[in-house]
Amino acid sequence: MPVPFIMPKFDMDQEQATIISWEKRDGDFIKFEETVLTVETDKVAIEVPSPATGTLARIAYKDGDVVPVTTIIAYILKDGETLADLPKADSTPPLSKPEVDPVSQTLAAAQATPVAARMAKEEGVDLTKVASSGDKITRKDVELYLANQTPASRVAVAATPAARRVAREKGIDLESVAGSGPRGRVQSADVSKTAKHIPASVSHEREAEVIPLTGIRRTIAERMQQSFQQSPHIALTVDVDMTEAEDVRKRFNAQAEKLAQPRVTVTALIIKVVAWALVHNPYLNASFNGDSISLWKDVNIGVAAAAPQGLVVPVLKGADKLGVGEINLRLVELAERARENKLKLEDVQGGTFTISNLGMFGIRQFRAIINPPESAILAVGSAVRKPVVIDEQDHVEVRPILSLTLSADHRVIDGIVAARFLSDLVTGLESPSMLLY
Amino acid sequence: MPEMTYLEAIRQALWQEMKRDERVFLLGEDIGVYGGAFGLTHGMLDEFGPERVRETPISEATIVATAVGASLLGMRPVAEIMFMDFVLLALDQIANQAAKMRFMFGGRTSVPIVVRMPGGSGTGAASQHSQSLESILMHFPGLKVVNPSTPYDAKGLMLAAIRDPNPVCFVEHKVLYKTKGEVPEDDYTIPIGVAEVKRAGRDITVVANNIMVMKTLHIAERLAQDGIEVEVIDPRTLLPLDTETIINSVTKTGRLLVVHEACQTGGWAGEVIASVVGSPAFDYLDTPVRRLGGRDIPIPYNRGLEKFAIPQDADIEAEIRMMVSGKV
Repeated sequence: MPVPFIMPKFDMDQEQATIISWEKRDGDFIKFEETVLTVETDKVAIEVPSPATGTLARIAYKDGDVVPVTTIIAYILKDGETLADLPKADSTPPLSKPEVDPVSQTLAAAQATPVAARMAKEEGVDLTKVASSGDKITRKDVELYLANQTPASRVAVAATPAARRVAREKGIDLESVAGSGPRGRVQSADVSKTAKHIPASVSHEREAEVIPLTGIRRTIAERMQQSFQQSPHIALTVDVDMTEAEDVRKRFNAQAEKLAQPRVTVTALIIKVVAWALVHNPYLNASFNGDSISLWKDVNIGVAAAAPQGLVVPVLKGADKLGVGEINLRLVELAERARENKLKLEDVQGGTFTISNLGMFGIRQFRAIINPPESAILAVGSAVRKPVVIDEQDHVEVRPILSLTLSADHRVIDGIVAARFLSDLVTGLESPSMLLY
Repeated sequence: MPEMTYLEAIRQALWQEMKRDERVFLLGEDIGVYGGAFGLTHGMLDEFGPERVRETPISEATIVATAVGASLLGMRPVAEIMFMDFVLLALDQIANQAAKMRFMFGGRTSVPIVVRMPGGSGTGAASQHSQSLESILMHFPGLKVVNPSTPYDAKGLMLAAIRDPNPVCFVEHKVLYKTKGEVPEDDYTIPIGVAEVKRAGRDITVVANNIMVMKTLHIAERLAQDGIEVEVIDPRTLLPLDTETIINSVTKTGRLLVVHEACQTGGWAGEVIASVVGSPAFDYLDTPVRRLGGRDIPIPYNRGLEKFAIPQDADIEAEIRMMVSGKV
């Protein structure tokens, strides 16, 4: 039997992958584990290895196709097998009637007239869901029920060809149009009526380059919308005096130079302090599950980074257990892989908290949207040298001041909990030696 | 312009063409002394003599076969089938001989015959003398099927049919024989294969033939008072069918109804509908396309039932109203 080559599932909640490129063609001989194609999941690009040694046959999808996971995308013919050994091309499975629970169905059938019961059986209608207009469920009741249903086995929208054409021309979604025809069929006048209510800006006549929403872009769009709509965000801002942190960083850099390691970035230092603060504030290192909250034992800090295809968030695992030097090294390595689009799946999985730093662009402060399923994100602005009052005697000095804004999911994190976390951050950054306490 | 009946218009066409072209002659049952079952050839025997107005035995196969033979030798015969129902007896001559010869001889001969046949119900002539069999004739490549609805069209199409180098079945309607209309005395032809928009309208296209054109025009007049504008198209020729005119019309109105007296099942309405639905006009359809044909029963002798068997004014009106109001 030829070996089916399925689109692998790389991630728990992954549903599909986009084929970036086939490295092999129909008829090519491939070895077990050899890379056959590259696909892009919602998070990363991945090389897919062959599940067997043999000849690649019947590639069913081309570059750019979006394929649901576990779909057969090709076959591998083993030694001695030919195309004739391949299974017959899949035919569309027959549309099945909706499943109906037999027991409640029998009970309900007793309340229905024989004609209604037969109709329900033929149409796969669950009689328990049919409202009766009198003593018993009659044929009329079933018809009314059917008329109000749009089973998947039927065309989703009943519309005349003219209505479809007008909808196409005006860029109107037929599902949004109320049909005035028999059985709710949409007719062209219905579409024209709807069109009048839609502002002209929707018109397709305006010129634009249209970018299809795929891969990472689609994921970003879906997750940001989901996050902003579902989790109530609160935002809190603090200013941090970075004088001591800068001193520490200078000393670290001297050490790094000795070890021939890259210079320590502010971000690395902030990650260290954030990880420390998260250990003391577990609700910031959590996920909301609807009916429970997970307080994660690991502290895995994601750092938002720009990659060629869009935003990626490589994750520093166990950041609370690493020194600043180690954090810095890993950060440099992850950033490089992100730039080259070479992040592995494990590099972007398992985050429990995210840091987004736009300080290098001179952004003073901003509010970030939480990266689900996490429950908080820290937006780091730029450090600015400015005069501040430094003691009770109102002495003023020029100090580097950094603005931090925390966005927190208010379902999980009370304002006071968020404030405590920020207060710990200030302590950690203004007195880094406290981390040793 | 003089007014004359549909029957007189056809007679005038035959008369004038026989005067103009001595190759033209008539043959059929009782067409001479008796003047034809409907009196269409009345007076022609006296005018043109028995050589050119030839009485035949009661054998439709012989009538058409004789016409085919004569045409091959250069004549322009016009054969009469007394009732269209009897054309079935001559179908082998029409379908297997007349329609095919030009093709089978590689175009080196042709069969310029006209076979006239009155069809249709409405005269109490019962089921063997009342049929509308034009749809059957449309199934034979090589034939032309002409089907006028007005005296004007009847004369112009008859002159075109006689002059056409190929076999033409000329389908007349018994009830139309007595209808009147303006017909020029002059020689004129109407091109075969060209439909006519008998009435322009924006709301629905109704394609109808012979007597149904008249019924639909009558209904359209009434509906116009209610603001429903019906476009009535008479194909005039069923084979070849002028689908372009119909498609253009449906593209404008978005609705199509086909009305004919012929039995609905297997009737030519299906041909019209398939042509439209398969054309770019599809994207303009805003109502299911519909047809209104005769009931699938032999035409009854009883006058009441005879009317019941074919679409009546009220049926056409109801159908149009239902379609235009989007209730179908």
